[in-house]
Amino acid sequence: MDLQKNITDATTEIFETMIMMEITPGDPLKELVTTFHHTVSGMVGLAGTFKGLLAIHTPNDVAKAITSNFLGLDVEDIDDDVKDAIGELANMLAGNIKQAIDTTGKDVTLSIPSAVHGEEYTLNCLANAEWMIMPFTTPSGEFLVELQFEKA
Amino acid sequence: MNLDLQPMIVKATQDVFDTMIMMPVTPGTPLAEQVETFHCNVSGMLGFSGDLKGMLTIHCPDAVAQAITANFLGMDIDSVNDDVKDAIGELANMITGGVKDALAESGEGIRLSVPTTIAGRSYSLASLSDTHWVIIPFSTEKGEFLVELKCKTDILKLKE
Repeated sequence: MDLQKNITDATTEIFETMIMMEITPGDPLKELVTTFHHTVSGMVGLAGTFKGLLAIHTPNDVAKAITSNFLGLDVEDIDDDVKDAIGELANMLAGNIKQAIDTTGKDVTLSIPSAVHGEEYTLNCLANAEWMIMPFTTPSGEFLVELQFEKA
Repeated sequence: MNLDLQPMIVKATQDVFDTMIMMPVTPGTPLAEQVETFHCNVSGMLGFSGDLKGMLTIHCPDAVAQAITANFLGMDIDSVNDDVKDAIGELANMITGGVKDALAESGEGIRLSVPTTIAGRSYSLASLSDTHWVIIPFSTEKGEFLVELKCKTDILKLKE
């Protein structure tokens, strides 16, 4: 399974069809990012024979721009709409990537999405996980899509 | 079918603290209001899916998280380091395992994802609005921590 391609395809498709925002994928990160500042992270757990976590990390400005496009309304603060939108975005991404995982014969089901927001926080998946983090550029800045999963 | 989540959470949490952490904890009354904002805190969380889909989270103030880790690993802990984040994530994993066993006895199967830990001076943690939730406070010598279970399910399954 080509995770980089799966993440890129899923993210590009959702931004084109649901968020209506142009994004450009970058190169996968070489180092894990666990500390975030003024960011909203949406995440959803993956359970089954493929276990892991899908997260999207959006700086405040990017989170507001995504929500504004997604919901078609003006967004000034990181309010509940923004947290719901970024959580739902993680859910959509995970749903799309799930389809790619399913074709490998592993089965995966999704937990419920949640969103973390703060001035400064760390987010760590427990050790022994493999990971892939892809950056994407938007007109409002860069965001990251992260997939962590337990080694088979 | 009336699933009563509260006693499952209390028993799973007490079992883990009695047998793994070796720290006495006293359960309190379930919270009437949801808590979403945390300060100088460590939250360990684990998603699950199956007959119920949701997330179990344990929210520990820094001092409580350090005391739990010190007891669990048998070492001195003076900051919220990687050991603490691992321990609180693993704690969420163990408590969810206990809840999973209790749910299985009621005929509800769930599968677990991987534990994740959030830590910081000030952060909020919110789930999408249409979820059922139970939050139970537990007190320890070092202060109080919260165990939260959120899930999406056929509401008829749940005991009101």
